[in-house]
Amino acid sequence: MGVMRMGYAHVRVTDLAEAKAHYANTMGLYETHAEDGRVYYKGWDEWDHHSVVLEEGGVGVVKFGWKVRYSSDLDEIERRAQAFGVTVERMSRGENPEIGDGIRFTTPSEHVFEVYHEATLIGTEVGTHNPDAFPRHLVGVGVPGLDHALITAEDVKGMERFLTEVFDFYATERVQTSLEDDADYIGTWMTSNNQIHQLAVIGGPQGKLHHFAFKLGDWSEVGHAADLFSMDDVPIDVGPTRHGITRGQTVYFFDPSGNRNEVFAGGYLAYPDRPVHVWTPEQLGKGIFYHARELNDRFTTVLT
Amino acid sequence: MPNVTIDPTGEVIWLEPEETVLSGLFRAGFAYTVGCRRGGCAICKVDCLAGTFGYNRRVAESVLSADERTDGTCLSCRAVPQTDVTIRLREGDLRMVNPYLRQINERARQRAEALAAAQPASGVTSKE
Repeated sequence: MGVMRMGYAHVRVTDLAEAKAHYANTMGLYETHAEDGRVYYKGWDEWDHHSVVLEEGGVGVVKFGWKVRYSSDLDEIERRAQAFGVTVERMSRGENPEIGDGIRFTTPSEHVFEVYHEATLIGTEVGTHNPDAFPRHLVGVGVPGLDHALITAEDVKGMERFLTEVFDFYATERVQTSLEDDADYIGTWMTSNNQIHQLAVIGGPQGKLHHFAFKLGDWSEVGHAADLFSMDDVPIDVGPTRHGITRGQTVYFFDPSGNRNEVFAGGYLAYPDRPVHVWTPEQLGKGIFYHARELNDRFTTVLT
Repeated sequence: MPNVTIDPTGEVIWLEPEETVLSGLFRAGFAYTVGCRRGGCAICKVDCLAGTFGYNRRVAESVLSADERTDGTCLSCRAVPQTDVTIRLREGDLRMVNPYLRQINERARQRAEALAAAQPASGVTSKE
């Protein structure tokens, strides 16, 4: 049973030309395909056909794709989702360019998830034969790949149960109303493997995107990215700073349509048997922004 | 160029050509509650009490409803005034964060007004 990773984030943008300039020239993604007002990208260290899809018209998230290890995982996840009470539909090869058969459902948080096993292999930009450490001529930030997303839901506890029961995810960190057993959940950070989080959920309106994130190597790369955002007039929301939650190093910023992006580095190794880190609301500022130790007025209100 | 008058303080902001309301206020040294500054989050809406404006980009339906497109709601980060406008902020007070920019903007507004007043009367181009 295995979701390996968030394979793709498919988002809406109001102006495709401006969005392309951001994701290609500032972020340094590689365009792999374009059709019907949609553009497909991958990072230099990703091997599957795409990890980011831009669709012209509106803002926010269209859907997330999740890649599983075995084709039999599709049947298992379908069975589990149905057992949870979610309607699942079959997705055919080609409904998403270069993505194989799979399943599609709407989560209790009203986000569309697609689960698939096959994607066209393009290969990383350094290849597999005696590969160099990175491509010589990266553009802009030159992000290696997609990392995770944060979404909002009215029922965070219910979404944690859904992701646990259907995706076999486990929580690495939580924000709870108290330390009591009957505490309500304000946020949960979840993964299927050693990555500190693949999807996080915080309380908020249904179906909304807080941000999706690209991975970077370390503090200096995060700082360098922030420098480039100033050069390219990218609005920075917060950072560079550290998250208390995950311990990751970060900059939050906005794409030309107002979708929040993040570059994220570090984060400790997750294990299912590691005790969950629990944060309480009076320390939430420190949990989110470890240095400023207070939330800004945008963290809980600015969503697309 | 259009002016933006802030109700109820009466503060007047002079805009550059094609400048948005948000850009003008920040360029004049003020700050108020904003989010993505790129038309996506709807946080920077103000109310337009007088005057007309247009949007310099397409604005998503999820950001601005059909009603809001006609009731004076002004998504300030994308709104470009076509005439002088009067706006009222919705949440929080207008914050002065850089008084030097305010002085520069005030001088620019006075120059523009002097220029506009001089031209039709004398037909002579201002030396400014």
